[in-house]
Amino acid sequence: MAEETFRRFLDPAVVSKLATMDLRARLIVEGFVAGLHRSPYKGFSVEFAEHRQYMPGDPLKHIDWKVYGKTDRFYIKEYEEETNLRAYVLLDASGSMGYGSDEISKIEYGRYLAAALVYLMLKQQDSVGLLVFDDRVREFVPPRSTPRQLHVLLRELDRARPASETDIGTVLHDLARRMRRRGLVILISDLLDDPAKVLPGLKHFRHMKHEVIVLHVLDPRETGFLFDGDATFRDMETGELMTTEALSIRSDYLREVEKWRATLARACAESRIDYVPIDTSTPYDRALFSYLEKRRRLG
Amino acid sequence: MNVVFLNAGFLFAALAALLPLVIHLISRRRTKTVDFSSLRFLKELERKKVRRVRLRQVLLLVIRSLILLAVALALARPTLRGAAGASVHARTSAVIVLDTSASMSRKHNGRTVFDEAVRVCREIVSLMDEGDQAFLVDAATPRAPLLDEGTFARGVLLDALDGAGSGAGGTDYVSALEQARELLAGARNLNREIYVVGDLQRSGWRSGSAGVEPARGAEPDGPSSADVFLVQVGASAGNLGVSAVDVARRYGGPSGHFSVTSSIVNHGTREVSAPAKIYVDGEQVGQSGIRVPAGGTATVSFAAAVDDARWHAGHVELPEDALAIDDRRSFVIPAASPTEVLVVGADGREALDDAYYLARALDPAAGGERYRPVVVDASALAAQDRSRYALVVLADPGELGGEARRWLEGRAREGGACLAILGSRTDVRSWNTDLAPTLGAAAVRAPFERESGVRLAPAVGGHPLLEGLVVGDRLIDDVSVRRGFVVDAANSEVLLELPGIGPALAIARAESGANVATLATGLDRAESDLPKSGLLVPLVDRLASRLTGDWGGRRDFVVGEAIELSLPATPSGRLEFETPHGERVLADRRAVPRETASLRGSRDPGVYRLFESDEPIALAAVNVDPAESRLDPIGPSDLEEIPGGSGFRFVSPDAEISGQIMEARRGREIWRALIYLALGLVAIEMIVARPRAAWVPTGGTDAGTGDR
Repeated sequence: MAEETFRRFLDPAVVSKLATMDLRARLIVEGFVAGLHRSPYKGFSVEFAEHRQYMPGDPLKHIDWKVYGKTDRFYIKEYEEETNLRAYVLLDASGSMGYGSDEISKIEYGRYLAAALVYLMLKQQDSVGLLVFDDRVREFVPPRSTPRQLHVLLRELDRARPASETDIGTVLHDLARRMRRRGLVILISDLLDDPAKVLPGLKHFRHMKHEVIVLHVLDPRETGFLFDGDATFRDMETGELMTTEALSIRSDYLREVEKWRATLARACAESRIDYVPIDTSTPYDRALFSYLEKRRRLG
Repeated sequence: MNVVFLNAGFLFAALAALLPLVIHLISRRRTKTVDFSSLRFLKELERKKVRRVRLRQVLLLVIRSLILLAVALALARPTLRGAAGASVHARTSAVIVLDTSASMSRKHNGRTVFDEAVRVCREIVSLMDEGDQAFLVDAATPRAPLLDEGTFARGVLLDALDGAGSGAGGTDYVSALEQARELLAGARNLNREIYVVGDLQRSGWRSGSAGVEPARGAEPDGPSSADVFLVQVGASAGNLGVSAVDVARRYGGPSGHFSVTSSIVNHGTREVSAPAKIYVDGEQVGQSGIRVPAGGTATVSFAAAVDDARWHAGHVELPEDALAIDDRRSFVIPAASPTEVLVVGADGREALDDAYYLARALDPAAGGERYRPVVVDASALAAQDRSRYALVVLADPGELGGEARRWLEGRAREGGACLAILGSRTDVRSWNTDLAPTLGAAAVRAPFERESGVRLAPAVGGHPLLEGLVVGDRLIDDVSVRRGFVVDAANSEVLLELPGIGPALAIARAESGANVATLATGLDRAESDLPKSGLLVPLVDRLASRLTGDWGGRRDFVVGEAIELSLPATPSGRLEFETPHGERVLADRRAVPRETASLRGSRDPGVYRLFESDEPIALAAVNVDPAESRLDPIGPSDLEEIPGGSGFRFVSPDAEISGQIMEARRGREIWRALIYLALGLVAIEMIVARPRAAWVPTGGTDAGTGDR
């Protein structure tokens, strides 16, 4: 099952590509870790995380002899390195994320994005956690950097189903309060909520010195309003109906959407939040690689 | 003005205007429901945009419906009408009323007015399209059958026009229009037109028949209504014509002397002087210069002396002008023939009574050459043949029995002439209550008696009958009247009077048209000196002649009238009329109320001769209706006085007829305006329906960074 999930979310071609990429935090990272993110502070601590059965090839120094004494079996201690980068992937699983005009819905797209990011950061030996939310937190996986973490996260991603309404602001504030250490927050959402609630939540992270990346995922029909004739639109979250002539209002609709996106982009830029508008018609890997490449160029 | 649809069948297409609404309603019902991530932005737009969209949708719906409606109405070819007619493309049934009356023979610009009318008719025929039907009707009387059954072929119509010609009849446009409407009532095509082509002379529009329907424009359109076009040919012109000829026997001279009095009318605007000639039996017997004032009449009299043992024909003639047919008027002079007179005396009368003296006065020589008096007693009156006697003389018969009175009533109804002598046996009450009203004779006011006598005198102003019998203001013979009656001679010709008393001899015209004379005194020596006076014979002779003057009936007729001639006796042989052109036609006979020979529908002016077994026994003069001499036409201001005339439309013959008619036919078609309206609406629809230019967002879907 884990293998299937892995293969489903992480295409070999994508994995291969991701191997050449990294996601560096631009902010100063506390502590020292192995991998990409080195702490400016001296010293380190290693926390025991869990046991696992010894497999040939594991370093012998990590064999927990006490457990052997008790059980006559070899177990390896797995340590959680206290990394200086803790990343949280926030996946919006509200009802609106279930919308998709082509073969892929936003939630599915978001899952792929999240999976790739999770893989990338775990490969970088960063700690990665996952938070699935709608109008409240549905699932929370604390950040860890263990190899097993990937499977845990992929499993949770696979289970994420769109439902309920959106309240991004409340969830962001909630997480911001939980995060004790500086970290990286990657929000994958359509942000179809009141900007007056969303932006303060994002700024709360920045206030807490966290780095924020917003992957704003929208469907081409949402960005282009590619409807014609009379249609009755049904809100996927509230079930509300509205009949209108699509062609007649398209221009104004697009103007409203662009204004909204511009508001978000401007507000994010002011708060030094990476705002990444993504159209689900663009292959997720291309969208992600494009962003990572640009991020890397900009240092 | 009203709107008429020339292709009304296309009005059903107007239902197509409901199509956009139906489509709209269906599409609304079929609006698909689409899941959308969020209505956030649509709600933002609802307040402003969506409502405007709905308004725009309604506007588009209305515009599209109007487009379809305009096209459908245009297909139905609506026309705004006053009195104008049908479209050239809509099938038409038309009646051409062609005036062939006498006035149309007038020369005008080198040809006759009738020729011009035929030219106009041909131009009208040229407007016929396939499917159009046309009739040709005569406006003259008597009416000639031109093309009453109608035709769809131009050639047939043109042949009928070629075969038509102007005649000598009068004009009756009103009756011709009535016939035209009757023909169109059964026509196939919905568009109906009547063209009246003629000189439109005023006299031809006198209402000759009732119930002429008002033209289109005056009443809602219906299958029987038609557009009437009046096409006047030949400009108005003055004209001189002989309007009447009157022949009267002259008295006081040899027999066979007549006076022929002719009326000459000038319908022009200037006084005309011209010579008038009289011909009898083909020979000119007189001429007189006349001066006729503008718009007036002049009278010219001629004397003619003929052998009154036979009939004679003559005519009065003027120099020929543009309308020659009225410059000559025929007349006939009847032969003098013995007249049978019934003299009714009293029962058990004396030998020398009123009846005796009257009979002797009528036939002094007892040869019956002029009058053949038959004397009967009053009791034998009812047994007499009423039709035999030209004159009945009631020679103071006294009170008459019921049968006798009924006999007299019958005779009065038949128009028989009567002379009533009121003598000593007259019962005033019976006379006033029975006989006088029956006969139309003068009523008695009161008897009078003058022992010394009152001298009979001529009436003041004289009378033609007394010509030669009067010297100054006295009769040539003194006649004293001692007893008689005061009579009421109102509305009568008074010949003799009794000064200080009242009329002595008066002639009245009864309701039946009969002449009735009343002598207010008897032919009794005890009552007056008349029986012994030399005045009696000529007076009775002239009086009888005057009273029996119409006994033979009319001898002067108008073209188109039936000629009816009374016969002196029952004919024994074949009766035939000979027309002025020498054609023999069998006469119609009638025996009641008296022997009459008639010929229906005389068409040619001139003298008609009645033959009995190839022997001429009577003559009749047939002349053009004097009304044909007046050529002034009606004008637009006269249409109101014509039944249904307010909707008629004049077409000037000076301009192109077909162009005027086409313009008049169309009225004002507004289908083009509807098409333009539809095109305009299409343009508006395209503008309103145009989708707003696609607004391209300035941001793309590429990744961005937060660094600014």
